[in-house]
Amino acid sequence: MKTKIAALFALILAVTGCHDTMNSVENAQKEGQRNMVSDSRVVSDTGLNRKVNVVGVNTAMTPGGFLKVQVELLNRTGSLQNFNYHFEWFDQNGMQVGGSSTAVIPDEIAGKEDKFISAVSPTQAAKDFRLKLILGQ
Amino acid sequence: MKNKIIIPIVAASAVFLTGCGTNAHYVATGGTQNIVNIGQINIQDYIQAANAATSDLLASGALDKVKSPPAVLFISRIVNNTGQQIDTDLLTKKISIALLNSGKAMTTSTDPAAKGMKDETDFMNDQKSQKVPDFTLSGKIIQLNARAGNTTQATYSFQLSLNDTRSGYQVWEGEKEITKQGTQGTIGF
Repeated sequence: MKTKIAALFALILAVTGCHDTMNSVENAQKEGQRNMVSDSRVVSDTGLNRKVNVVGVNTAMTPGGFLKVQVELLNRTGSLQNFNYHFEWFDQNGMQVGGSSTAVIPDEIAGKEDKFISAVSPTQAAKDFRLKLILGQ
Repeated sequence: MKNKIIIPIVAASAVFLTGCGTNAHYVATGGTQNIVNIGQINIQDYIQAANAATSDLLASGALDKVKSPPAVLFISRIVNNTGQQIDTDLLTKKISIALLNSGKAMTTSTDPAAKGMKDETDFMNDQKSQKVPDFTLSGKIIQLNARAGNTTQATYSFQLSLNDTRSGYQVWEGEKEITKQGTQGTIGF
């Protein structure tokens, strides 16, 4: 009886659990060159870091002179993960700019998915940034 | 005997009256602790939509294509196609503040006193020409509801257009969609 229940449970998991992962395809010979930046990380939520990991960060300037940041995330788990994020911006003196206008943005990432999130600085004075990732519900 | 009944009632009343206030606390506007309702647009939704529109607009460079920067913007009509009464200033004011802070655009004043003083100054200086805004910003907010079993969902679409007042063309368009989902038992339309 116990074996049957365990088998049924495993079957349910196999049927329902596999829907959250993602397959993808992309061009192997890349035309664009990403300007990768070295990053400094502070990890306080190791659980989130184990699940949704920052792969890399690259930046570019928009035609209007605003800093654009793109962060590549990878879901290391096989299930859908919800997370929240927001960017903070700093000027050349390290002072935060546009602080009141930033919102926490809810997002989700499928199992094993590689995903990009990006943001544009609120002013041309912004030279540095910080991304905050928070585990979602 | 009477006291035995009255005292607990008074104590319970005191706890009830004072206890109600202890739950009140501040939360960061737009943060993860904000209340999420499916049937209405929450403050974090307005902030998200305004941020997305501003970032997209600034990155597009559309505001840079004016003869004498910064661009002058007139906030036009935002059509409310949701089932709720909303103040569209919750969206447009955030956008105009962000654009003004970016240094890329200024909005025309809606203050009657400022307009009156400008008219008077123009009259005194014998100026007849008024600078026409370079762009107008118009848009629409749409609500789309869906239900499957006990699960309800609402999608709010914030659509914005930047219109060139000289050519009459739309030189930029942005759309931000926010979808919220929950079970019927907890949250309803």
